[in-house]
Amino acid sequence: MEYANLRRQAASLKRSLFDQGYLDEQFCQVEDLQDEASPNFAEEVVSLFFKDSARLVTNIEQAMEKYPKDFNRWDAHMQQLRGSCFSIGASKMNNECTSFRNSCGEENAEGCRRTFQKVKREHAILRQKLESYFQLLRQAGPARAATRPGSM
Amino acid sequence: MATMGGDRRQMMEDVAEDKFPEGLRILVVDDDRVCLMVLEALLRRCKYQPTTVMDAKTALRMLMAGKQQFDLVITDVRMPDMDGFKLLELIRLEMDLPVIMLSVDCDKKVVMKGIEHGASDFMVKPVRTHELKN
Repeated sequence: MEYANLRRQAASLKRSLFDQGYLDEQFCQVEDLQDEASPNFAEEVVSLFFKDSARLVTNIEQAMEKYPKDFNRWDAHMQQLRGSCFSIGASKMNNECTSFRNSCGEENAEGCRRTFQKVKREHAILRQKLESYFQLLRQAGPARAATRPGSM
Repeated sequence: MATMGGDRRQMMEDVAEDKFPEGLRILVVDDDRVCLMVLEALLRRCKYQPTTVMDAKTALRMLMAGKQQFDLVITDVRMPDMDGFKLLELIRLEMDLPVIMLSVDCDKKVVMKGIEHGASDFMVKPVRTHELKN
């Protein structure tokens, strides 16, 4: 029953991610798109998200250094990151992205620096939590195994 | 939408009445790979046939080349190489295809701009299944 236990842990982790506002309903939508043809779809999307978002975060960091006070440029980069966050339901991270954009709107450089640190923090936290989640799922094995009692 | 011509309105009504159910050939244009991946899966789930491209120029080339036929274009409002509205205009000028604009924001100004440029509809990210079925 090891698999059932792992599955329970994964479900519990997912629930807490929702309860704590890290993820929203869009994540369920992504998991819903998994099927026999794409059994690892959610993990693939999330993996792509972290690859792309890491690049975008670096772009923003460089832009903030190279183009001080170019709030439009900073904002444009953050818009891109926000779009990706929406697609996987990265709710908390999205909120920090919005705060950053608000600071850009106010032309508040210090505010931007502060909120950008928060964006990076949420990015790192979410990555770690989702990595744990998918690792649990991988260890738990394919769903079929869990639905056939006594087959292990 | 007052700017829509009669043919386009008929087509949108057809789509609304589900006269183009399965196999609708959709060209999706967005520079965000994550969004494209999710949207493509969503469209396939709805039994449509999506083709994804990451920039407007490639989209236009595909549409002009005519090797592949499309029934609908869904495009992000904001892209690096060409504004989504510009793409919308060009598509409307060259061919009679409905275009749906996709945006992160529900900014009224952006929606109005889309309608003025001839967009058939407007969707806000993240896109949900029931929105696509309509």
